[in-house]
Formats: sequence, C-alpha cells, structure tokens
Amino acid sequence: MSRLVSRDDTVSGVCFVASAVIHLTVFLLLLWWGRLFSSPSAIHETYYVDVVNLPTAEPQAGLPAQKSDEAVAVPLPAAPQAMTVPVPVKTPPPKVVKTVTKPTKPTNVKAPAETESAFASQMAKLESARDASRKEADFEKSLSKVKGAAGSKPGMPGAGGITAGSSYPDFIKSRLEDALKVTSSYSSKNPEVFVRLTITAEGKLSRMNMVRSSGDAIFEMAVRRAVDLASEKFVPPPNRTVFENGFVFKPKGIASASSR
Amino acid sequence: MDIILGAGIIVKLVLLLLLSFSVVSWAIILFKFFQVHRAKSESERFMDFFWKSKRFDAIASQVDRFANSPLTVLFNEGFSELKKVVEPDSKSDGSALSTDLGGIENVSRALRRATNSEITRLEKYLTFLATTGSTSPFIGLFGTVWGIMTAFEGIGKTGSASLAVVAPGIAEALIATAIGLVAAIPAVMAYNHFQHKIRVLINEMDSFSTEFLNIVQRNIAGK
Repeated sequence: MSRLVSRDDTVSGVCFVASAVIHLTVFLLLLWWGRLFSSPSAIHETYYVDVVNLPTAEPQAGLPAQKSDEAVAVPLPAAPQAMTVPVPVKTPPPKVVKTVTKPTKPTNVKAPAETESAFASQMAKLESARDASRKEADFEKSLSKVKGAAGSKPGMPGAGGITAGSSYPDFIKSRLEDALKVTSSYSSKNPEVFVRLTITAEGKLSRMNMVRSSGDAIFEMAVRRAVDLASEKFVPPPNRTVFENGFVFKPKGIASASSR
Repeated sequence: MDIILGAGIIVKLVLLLLLSFSVVSWAIILFKFFQVHRAKSESERFMDFFWKSKRFDAIASQVDRFANSPLTVLFNEGFSELKKVVEPDSKSDGSALSTDLGGIENVSRALRRATNSEITRLEKYLTFLATTGSTSPFIGLFGTVWGIMTAFEGIGKTGSASLAVVAPGIAEALIATAIGLVAAIPAVMAYNHFQHKIRVLINEMDSFSTEFLNIVQRNIAGK
C-alpha cells in the first residue's frame, strides 16, 4: 500500500511537469501563430496632407535664416546664385540686340554685295562668343547650384528638411488637430479653450498654460489629452530656438493665435 | 500577446490564477488518466488470473504483478484478515462455528475498509477538477468585469467614446473569460469521464468483495 502511494506521488509529479510543458507549448504555439498572423491588427499611423493649404512655406518665416549654425557657409553660395540667376535672362537680349545692330553698322560702311561674307563671318563670331558666354553662365549657374545644394539640406529651398513643407506653427497646429480628433467627440456644444504651448529647442513640450477657457471641464480634459498625444509627434522647431505659441481649441478645429 | 501585457494588474492576476488552475487540472487529468487506465486493465488481468488459479496462496504470491489494480489491495487485505482469523483457529481447534461467523464478518469488514480506502485513492484530486470546472468561468468573468470597469474609467477620462478607445479595453477584459472557459471545459469533461470510470471500478470492487466472501464462506463451511 505504501509502495503504491509513493509510486503515485512520483507519477503525479511527472504528470504535473508534463502539464506545465503542455501549457508552455500551447502558449509558445499561440505566440508563434500570433506572430504569423497578427499583421492585420497592427494599426498604421495615417498621415494626410492638408490639400487646401498645401505647402504654405512663408518666405519670411525664417526659412533662409534657418541655418543659423551654417550662417558662415551659406551667404557665399547664396550671393552668386542671386547674381547668376538673372545672367542667362539678361545676357541674351543684349546679344540679340547686338546681332541686330551690328549688321546695320557694316552695311552702312561697306557695299552690300561685298559685306555679305564679312557679315556672315562676324555673325558666326558673335554667335560663338554668345554661346561661350552662355555656356560660361550656365556653368557658373550650375556651379552655384551645386554649392547651394551643398550648403542647404534637401527639401524646401533653404529649408531644414524637417518642416514638412509647412511653417512650424502650422505643423504643430496640424498635429494638435489630429490629436483632438482622437480625444474629443463634441459636436453640439461649442466650448473654447485658449492654450499657450512652449516647445523646447529639442522639440519637447516644456510648458502648457491654459490661459482662458469657456469652462467646459470635459473639453478641457480632451484638450489636455490632445496636447499630450500631439506632443509625442512634435519635432524640434526651426532655428533650434524655443517655440511659443497660443492655440484656440474648438471642437470644430484649432486656430493658431500667436498674440493674445 | 500585447493584449495580456497591456491588461491591468487585477486582470493579470486573474489570468495567472486561471493559468495555474489549468496547469494543475491538466496534471490531474493526466495523472488520473494513467491511474484509472492502469487500474482498469490490471483489474481485468487480475480477474482472469483469479478465476484460473485454485488457491489463495498461489494468488497471493503472484499479486504483485497487478499492483495498480484496486482489486489486489482488496485481495491482500481480505487474505491477510482471513489468515489472522483461520490460523489461531487451526492452532486451537475449539469452537469452529463461532470463529466461522466471526471470521466471515471480519473479512467482510476488512474488504469494506479496503474498498473505501481504494475509492478515496481513486477519487483523490478529482474534487479539484470539479472546483476548476465550476469556478474558473466565474473567476474569468470577474476579470472581465474588472477590465471593463477600468476601460470605462478610461473612456470617461478621455471624454471620447470612439471605438478606438473602447475596443482595446474590452478585448483585454474578455480574454479573462476566454481563459476561464479554456480552463473549465477540459476540467468538467475529465471530471465526468473519471467519475464514470471510477464508478465502474467501484462496482468491480463490490462484486469482487462478494465473490471473495462467497469463496471464503464456501471453503470454511466446506471444511
């Protein structure tokens, strides 16, 4: 009897281990299976382009001044570019004028029959000269382009390449609107919250100040959460400076209000 | 996987509890399967052997071959009791009739006791299967209710009732019920199966006891 019981104990121990192994196997199988077939469950971030105000790069929005750290290198390529761009436009008209006026001069001095060949040779000379100058201008232009490209980053002309083809406040506004769509589901009431955001040079939200609110606590909470949610997607402001701006949150959308 | 890791602490605890229930109940299922299966097959072989052999002594010497059968336990108990009853009788051949009746009673009691202990041995741990089968759906339901409560709290905090906010919390919560059912269903099935098998074995033990007593009575009366 006692022998039987001890044997039962060892068998039960073996069974317990076997059960644990079975469970582990099933769990691992489920994991493996989940890894194989879980791809549809992954939620892809939707990026959309605001078609109405597509690239609204404001020229004065500090875009050329963006490369503060490359300030020494940039003006040099920029200056030739400014000069060479008009060159191909300007030089041909004088050449054309010359070619028109020059033939008139010789015709006045020499006889028309004799001057035919001289005129042709001069014409060829002038054309070759013009071609040479044009080539030179083209070369200079492309050279300046190359220099300019080396100085600035790809993207918008002279832009840092991180402003998503839009000005920085608009970028922030767009992220906030995306987030507000997630956190708020108002449609009937019309609360309003004015928030000042401060974003550090590293693109981190450093301060959020609720300046004024219409007093709707739930909407305020939604705005807070929207700012939190959007702050994950903030990028460093241009010029690597601290960015501060006010935003008016309404259920319909967000308005940027820098001075209020 | 994320669905488990993303769940709250209470839901995780519930899942852990259900997992341990499941592991233990499967261990019991495996153990009982081997135990009952061996008991059944060895009982059949023992009965064949029992009816073929003429003497209890010969059976007693061979009984170790069928150690997993409950019938051998019955036989051992009955036979040792019978020896205790008969041997003093043979030494002092006094009142034979009184020891006859008393001896039969003693053997009967010994067999009944052995049957009871064997039933206890066979039914050991089966209550755990019954408990798992009846309670783990409720434990899972508790986890689900708790998870949905926290999910609704989250919805209240965000102020948004979009499906993207509601759905993950409810999915996390429902996994507790699913695991509860996964733990309960095999336990209930195995419990019913083993109950039936053990009832068959108990019937076999009862009939063996009566057969044994009959043989003993025949032999003593025939003496």
